[in-house]
Amino acid sequence: MFAYEKRLQYPVNIKNPNPALAKLIMSQLGGPDGEAGAALRYLSQRYAAPTREVQAMLTDIGTEELSHIEMVSAIIYQLTRNLTPKQIKEQGFDAYFVDHTTGIYPVSASGVPFSADYFQSTGDPIADLNEDLAAEQKARLTYDNILRFADDPDVREPIKFLREREIVHYQRFGESLRIVTDMLDERNFYAFNPSFDKPKKK
Amino acid sequence: MTKTDKSERQAAMLRVQQLSFALTEANLYLDSHPTCEKGIAYFKKHKEALDKAKAEYEKKYGALCIENALDENDKKWKWVCEPFPWVSEYERSEG
Repeated sequence: MFAYEKRLQYPVNIKNPNPALAKLIMSQLGGPDGEAGAALRYLSQRYAAPTREVQAMLTDIGTEELSHIEMVSAIIYQLTRNLTPKQIKEQGFDAYFVDHTTGIYPVSASGVPFSADYFQSTGDPIADLNEDLAAEQKARLTYDNILRFADDPDVREPIKFLREREIVHYQRFGESLRIVTDMLDERNFYAFNPSFDKPKKK
Repeated sequence: MTKTDKSERQAAMLRVQQLSFALTEANLYLDSHPTCEKGIAYFKKHKEALDKAKAEYEKKYGALCIENALDENDKKWKWVCEPFPWVSEYERSEG
């Protein structure tokens, strides 16, 4: 079960609206490598994790991703406050505005709505953890790309924090993969799926 | 609300955020290193400080979690009286 804490993981206080930047950052909410996909990926995969360490890791990182959904949403919310029709039109926010006004909707920077196609839950912990390592790197580089377009320090600071978390999660998933492979036959990790096949006990 | 009030509240919130972050880091590390004595000691130390920081924040500025939403003498549901966390300091000061 989950309990809500009425605070952000890291402060977000943005003074100046910037709908063009909001549109780019939206990708980290509902895009192919965004936080919504991350949370659903780990919280779905955890049931197939064969050890308590990895069950814990997927649960706890998945939970942290929920707080990142909230941070990214807060950034978008604050970047799109008090907009004038002129700002909306000139900064290319008009198409989003027609569909959602300034409501928060999970969509990629290129306008594709969020989809579960962005992640897998294979039931095989080695395959899942390799996807998770790639996912953290893809999210990291997306934050790097966002930072290329963000000059406002009010925006850069929370984005840099989120970028850093991808690197820490990558490290922890690397350790999780090592834990799973160590418990298997080291000459052939792929001999069977430890979460599905039940090899005969000696 | 005066400027000093605002910065005191922000400082109290930052203290909660910093200590809670220390626990999150220790939490993920301990998931893959569950017998690390240094990690266990680090978690315990910061947990104690976090409990104090949260209690201090909640006493002055309102509940962080629903369990603490009502004090003994409260007659109204204060959870809906304090802003939600996506509201920036700038929006708060607009009133």
